[in-house]
Amino acid sequence: MGTYVVTGGSSGIGAAAVELLKSDGHEVINVDLRGGDICANLATQEGRDTAIEGIIEKCPDGIDGIICNAGVSGNCGNLELVISLNYFGTVKLARGLFDLLQKKNGSVVVTVSNTISQGTGRMDIVDLLNNVGDEQRICNIVKTMDATNQTVGQSIYMATKYALARWVRRISTSWAARGVRVNAVAPGNVRTAMTDSLSDAAKFAVSALPIPVRYGSDALMDPEEIAESMRFLLSNRARGINGIILFTDGGTDALLNSEKVY
Amino acid sequence: MKAIEKYVEALKNCDNKALSMCFAEDGTLRDYCPNATGRQEYHVYGREAIDMFFKNKFTFRQYLISEAEIVNDEQAEFIASIGGYYVMCIATVRRVDENGLITRLTVRPK
Repeated sequence: MGTYVVTGGSSGIGAAAVELLKSDGHEVINVDLRGGDICANLATQEGRDTAIEGIIEKCPDGIDGIICNAGVSGNCGNLELVISLNYFGTVKLARGLFDLLQKKNGSVVVTVSNTISQGTGRMDIVDLLNNVGDEQRICNIVKTMDATNQTVGQSIYMATKYALARWVRRISTSWAARGVRVNAVAPGNVRTAMTDSLSDAAKFAVSALPIPVRYGSDALMDPEEIAESMRFLLSNRARGINGIILFTDGGTDALLNSEKVY
Repeated sequence: MKAIEKYVEALKNCDNKALSMCFAEDGTLRDYCPNATGRQEYHVYGREAIDMFFKNKFTFRQYLISEAEIVNDEQAEFIASIGGYYVMCIATVRRVDENGLITRLTVRPK
């Protein structure tokens, strides 16, 4: 049995992933702000260092995989947090754990979002994240934006997820050549604490992103459905898969972007 | 009311359900007008998909029409606002089934 790390594993998709991996008999280390096996704030470098040191201490022989799932919505009212947690909390942690992953030919799965294909993210911020990567400077820029405006919040959220997806594509080839596969899962609208806490306006917007497999009902995707994709990508059954963005949204992306086949 | 009239009426009212009911169960809608705005065209297959697709477009005001005019029994012209860009469009009902429901409709820039 393997040893896996899940960030944001105390609730929602992360908790479902922890549950599934444990049910397979694996050891799972949950890194979360609260309720984790390692409690750390991945929005800060200090927190990332705490997490990396804690994982190295618990797993000196390596880890079989990591699910980088911790994140906040664009409506959290703090755009710096969206940048620091969603993007840098994933990229810097994964980089920090590379040696442990390589020891066991491990695998990385990153949680992105199916909103990346909707074309409403701030592509200038995406470029800054991927091409500059200076956390403090980018936080200084988003600090000047109106965090109370939901459209602004969503555009920054989408930017972080788009940048993560592009990071996965860019890094996956060299990491795979060194034995570590990297993939992403792009969930649609999922029933989680994040979606439960949305404002009425945001919930209305969510309802206008139809989920074909839920046609005729208002039900959202279950966290377990997303976690199943993650489990698959981590597993040896997916050993030939690297650098993909696996949309797990019940068909929303296909509905709205049928012409995008690649 | 002919199929083209029902289709235009549903578009004008932003009524995705009524729009979908203009189509046969396996009816298809092909709209090439988004190309004129730098977007990919729409190919929507099946009544349920048309319902869901336009629920999204209407809610986010990504597909609104104005200045609609029925040209003949199969065609209508209108100005569509697609993501905020205006395109002069002509919609053509290519085929209907025995119940008068649309099985194939195309929309092209005019």
